[in-house]
Amino acid sequence: MLYIPEPPQIKRNILGRRQLLQLSGLSAAAFLLNGCGSSLLSREVNQISEPLNQSVEALILNPRQPVPEFPLSAIQPEALLINTFDQTPQIDSQTFRLAIDGEVAKPMEFSMQEIQHLPLTSMIIRHVCVEGWAAIVQWGGIRIRDLALLVQPKPSARYVYFESADGYYESWDIDSALHPQTLMAYQKNGQPLPIENGAPLRLAAPIKLGYKQSKWVTKLTFTSQLPAEKGYWIDRGYEWFAGL
Amino acid sequence: MITSGLQIYNANPVFGGRGGWTFPALVTLGGWLAGGRHWHFAAMWLFSLNLLAYGIYIFVTRRWQHRFLSSQDIKAIQVSNNPKRKNYSWHRLAYTIIIPVLLMAVLTGLGMYKPAQFHGIVFLFGNDWQTLRVFHFISVPIVLLFSLVHSLLSLRVGGDRLVKSMFI
Repeated sequence: MLYIPEPPQIKRNILGRRQLLQLSGLSAAAFLLNGCGSSLLSREVNQISEPLNQSVEALILNPRQPVPEFPLSAIQPEALLINTFDQTPQIDSQTFRLAIDGEVAKPMEFSMQEIQHLPLTSMIIRHVCVEGWAAIVQWGGIRIRDLALLVQPKPSARYVYFESADGYYESWDIDSALHPQTLMAYQKNGQPLPIENGAPLRLAAPIKLGYKQSKWVTKLTFTSQLPAEKGYWIDRGYEWFAGL
Repeated sequence: MITSGLQIYNANPVFGGRGGWTFPALVTLGGWLAGGRHWHFAAMWLFSLNLLAYGIYIFVTRRWQHRFLSSQDIKAIQVSNNPKRKNYSWHRLAYTIIIPVLLMAVLTGLGMYKPAQFHGIVFLFGNDWQTLRVFHFISVPIVLLFSLVHSLLSLRVGGDRLVKSMFI
């Protein structure tokens, strides 16, 4: 009989460090190549990281502390670009009413005259757009916090839903909505707010990205439950909290 | 980070604003601005935690004391007649400088991600948005150049053998 010796048993690592690095490098590259040039996978990636990012940004928000503002000389009027998802609505400021309802003790409607009789808060802050540009701007208006003193939101309310005359819609967490620098603004850079910037009333705040700051606002609704449609751009994939 | 960053860049090019030149889709990741942001703000965790782990590692093992650029390396670059010694020192210079460049990318990124809550970072850059963007974006050509130069220098120092011993 032919004697065929057994090959010596070679002790191998199941997965050595080198092999692990090679495997993970190659598979990561293959995985990522799927995403090149397309929006495939970005939604899935977002579902993993967004809860973490949202927790962190909610954590670092101080609901009572204003963020630093800027001097008059810092204002950059040309830098404040104008974006809108659709048309610019024409609103008659005489007949215009801002409605505030939902989970509040006293739902109310305000005319522009009534709003302008309430204390004016003016601030010079940085407006940041998700596109990547920013502008120092002066906004003047009434704090949502001051409006809340009048309508008295119930303790159950956790969000504020904003409706606009052009069909735009947004929703904020209540802490950010009641932040001292979150205004319903009717003044921009020392002048009455122009129509393209949202007149008669627009949201303005330094603590959220521009797309959260609805223009031509007609209604605020305090609520404990958000609908499935949380915001125009949110429904198309952008972050909901969008905190700065 | 780079490919999703280029996707984000395309929304508002640093040089040229809205009408400026944009990167071709092939080198971008995400498809559009929201997609690019998703990748970028997910990968940033991997990138920064990895960099932090590396920092802790070189500190704990005291690698920082003898594996990075030293005054002897600078002297060697200036006066040495030994080409291999010089290459070695250039190499060390490259991978020493890349660390602050990567840290700068993280810092400027955080400044643009949370300019209200991390206003101190924005203040460090003169409270100027464009400065933040330029410093953040400039890390891209630097890292790409570094990778290229680093690879070429490694080849010069150790040849194919060095590269093979690391990967194969």
